[in-house]
Amino acid sequence: MGLSDRGGAPLRITGLRLEGVGTRLGGRWVVDGVDATPPPGRLTGLLGPNGAGKSTLLRLVAGVAAPEAGTVLVGTSDEVPAPAPQDAAGRPDGALVPLHRLPRRRRARAVALLEQESSLAVPFTVREVVALGRIPHRGLSAPGRDEAVVASALVAAGADHLADRAWSQLSGGERQRVQIARALAQEPSLLLLDEPTNHLDVHAQLATLALVRSRGTTAVAALHDLTLAAAWCDHVLVLDGGRLVAAGAPADVLTAELVARVWGVRCEVLVHPRTGHPVIAFDGPQPTGPDDGPVTAHAGADGPARHASGADGATTPVGTGGRS
Amino acid sequence: MSAPTLPSGTGTGPAHGGGRPHGTGGTGAAGATATGRTATAATGHDRAATPGARRDGPATGAPRRRPPLALLVGAGALALLGTVLVAVTVGPSGLGVAEVLRGVGGHAGLDVVPLDRLQDAIVWQIRLPRVLTAAAVGAGLALAGAVMQSLTRNPLADPYLLGLSSGASVGAVAVLVLGVAVLLPVAAFAGALVALVASLALARSGGTLSPGRAVLAGLAVSQLCAALTSFVVFWTATGDSYREILDWLLGSVAGASWSSVAISGTAVLVVGAVLLASSGRLDAFAFGDTAAAALGVAVDRTRWTLLTLVALLTGAMVAVSGSIGFVGLVLPHAVSALTGPAHRRLLPVAALAGAVVLVWADTLARTVFDPRELPVGIVTALIGVPVFAVVLRRGRGPAWA
Repeated sequence: MGLSDRGGAPLRITGLRLEGVGTRLGGRWVVDGVDATPPPGRLTGLLGPNGAGKSTLLRLVAGVAAPEAGTVLVGTSDEVPAPAPQDAAGRPDGALVPLHRLPRRRRARAVALLEQESSLAVPFTVREVVALGRIPHRGLSAPGRDEAVVASALVAAGADHLADRAWSQLSGGERQRVQIARALAQEPSLLLLDEPTNHLDVHAQLATLALVRSRGTTAVAALHDLTLAAAWCDHVLVLDGGRLVAAGAPADVLTAELVARVWGVRCEVLVHPRTGHPVIAFDGPQPTGPDDGPVTAHAGADGPARHASGADGATTPVGTGGRS
Repeated sequence: MSAPTLPSGTGTGPAHGGGRPHGTGGTGAAGATATGRTATAATGHDRAATPGARRDGPATGAPRRRPPLALLVGAGALALLGTVLVAVTVGPSGLGVAEVLRGVGGHAGLDVVPLDRLQDAIVWQIRLPRVLTAAAVGAGLALAGAVMQSLTRNPLADPYLLGLSSGASVGAVAVLVLGVAVLLPVAAFAGALVALVASLALARSGGTLSPGRAVLAGLAVSQLCAALTSFVVFWTATGDSYREILDWLLGSVAGASWSSVAISGTAVLVVGAVLLASSGRLDAFAFGDTAAAALGVAVDRTRWTLLTLVALLTGAMVAVSGSIGFVGLVLPHAVSALTGPAHRRLLPVAALAGAVVLVWADTLARTVFDPRELPVGIVTALIGVPVFAVVLRRGRGPAWA
C-alpha cells in the first residue's frame, strides 16, 4: 500500500495554476469556479470573510481532497533548486500536470498544509510532532538526515527551545510555531497555510510571515488581517461566497470599495508613510450589510483607492522597503 | 504596565483552553509564556535568540527523554523469555527451569537427558502450550488495542471495539448451549467475523469510514449480540453450561493446546509485522484525517485495511481465549508512557509487555486459588483497573483531559 512511489526522484513544485476549481459541501458550492495563478516563489494571501471557502480551497490545492470541478495544475521539476523559469505571464515554462494525478506520497514530499485547528490525540513531544513531517520521506532520505531536517525546522520556526516539551503543555502560540516547523520538516516547495498567524502575538505574526517569505517557497496563506496581508503578501486572492472576486497586488486589490463590498465594513485605505504598503483603517460595519446596495461611504476618498484588477492582474511585487 | 502581555495571554488561553484543557501545566505555561514575551518585547531580539524564550516554568518544563528502542525491546524480549521459562515451572509437581529446558531441548532434538514421561507431559502437553498461548494472546491484544486507539483517535477504544467479543460470544453460546456441532474456536471466530462485517457495513457512509461512526456501529452490534447471548443463556442454559459459558465469557486460556499456539502465534506474527510496517501511516493519523492525507496517507483505504486486519487478529485471539478484557485497553497507554506514542516504538514494546503481563496473569489465575482456577479475565481486570487509575491520574496528553 502506498509504497509504489518509493525511490522516486525528489519533486519540486515550480508553478501553480487553478482552473475553474470548485467543490461542494452538503450540496452547496463552497468553492466555485476559481481561476488563479499564484506567482511561483512568492507569498500569496488568500483573503475573504468567514465561510468564503478559504480553508476548503487550501485543502483542494493541497491535494487532500479532489475538486469536483476544474483542476489544480502544478508545474513540476525533478531537479534540485533552480529559479523557476517564467514566461511573460508569470507562468512556469514546464508542462503543467493535475495535482491529483501525482502519487500521494510523492505529492506529500512537495506540498505541505498547515491546518487551522489541530488537536492531537496522543502525548507526543514537540520533536516527535515535527518528525511527523518526515513521514512522506521515510525510507528515502540518507541516515541521520531526518533528524537534521527536524532540528533545522525547529530552529527556523523558533521552536527549538521547545523540542523536548510535551505538545499538550504548549500555549496556542507555541503550538502554532511547532506546526509551522512540522510543515517545514516536510521540505515543501509549495506551502499552504490556513491562518498561520492565528493565536500569535504581533511579534510572532510578523516573524512567521517573514519566515515564509524568506524561504522563497511558493506559499499560499489564508489570512484575516488585511493590513498584515497587504504588508507581507506579493499577491492576494479575495474570495467571497466561494468565488474569486479579486486578484492581484495588494495595493491594487485592497480598496475601500472592495473591503466594503466583500466584508461589509467601512474603511479608509491609508498608505504606510515608510513602507508604502496599504494600511486598512476600519470605521465600522456598514449599516446595510455586505451585499446590499451601492457602496456610499468613503469609496474613492483621498486614500489610494483603486479598482480591483481582474483574476490575471499584475503580480508586480509591492514595495520592499523596511522588511528586513 | 501589563498591556503588551495581556492581549496575547487572553488570546491564546481560551482559544485552546476551551477545547482541550491541558491539566495542571496550563496556567503555568500561560504564565511562563507571558514572561517570555515581555522579555522579547523588552529586548526586541529575534524570538529564537531571546534568553527569555528558554524558560523552565514549574510543572511545564519537564523534558521528555525516551529510552532507546533497542534497550526496551531487548529488555522486553529477555523478560518474556524468563517469564515463559519460569511460568512453566509454577504449579504442583516441582519442576525447575532446568527441567523445562531439558524438556524443550528434548523435543527440539537436542542431545539432553530426557524428562520422565509424566514431567514431559506436564511441560510439553499442558503448561508450555498454555503459557505460549497466553503470551501470543497478550501480545495480540496489546497490538490490536494500540492500533484501534490510533485509528479511531479514541483512548477508550479496545480490540473488541467493533463488537467482536460479543459476536464471538454468540458463536460460543451456540456451541455450548444449543449444541451446534462445530468446534468452539471455529464458532467463536465465525461469530466475531459476522459482527465485524455488520459493524463495518453499519459504519460506512458513502464509502468513507469515520472513526465516530465505527465506534457507534460497534456499540450497536455489540449490544445486539449481548442481548442474543443473554437470551439464549436465559432461555436454555442449565447448571453446568452456565459455568462453561461464564468461563468462556470471562476469558481463559485453560484449554490451550499446540493448535491454539499455532493459531494465535501465527496471527500475531503475520498481522504484527504488517502493523509494524504501517507504523508511519499510523503516526500520521495523530492530527486527524486531513493531516494524514496531507502527509501522503490514503486515509480511507488505510483505515479500512488496518481495521479489518486488527479485527481478524482479535478474532483469532477470541477464538482461542474468549474475551480477555483490559489488556488491549490499558497496556498501550501504560507502555506509551515509556516509549512515547510513535508506533515504531510503541507497537513492539506493547506486544512484548502484553505477552509478559498475560502470562503472569494466567499464572496467577491458575495458582492463587489452587486447585480452583479463576478465569484470567478477572485477574487482568483486577490488575488492570489500578494500573489504569495510575495512568489516568498521571493524565498524559490532551486526550485524557
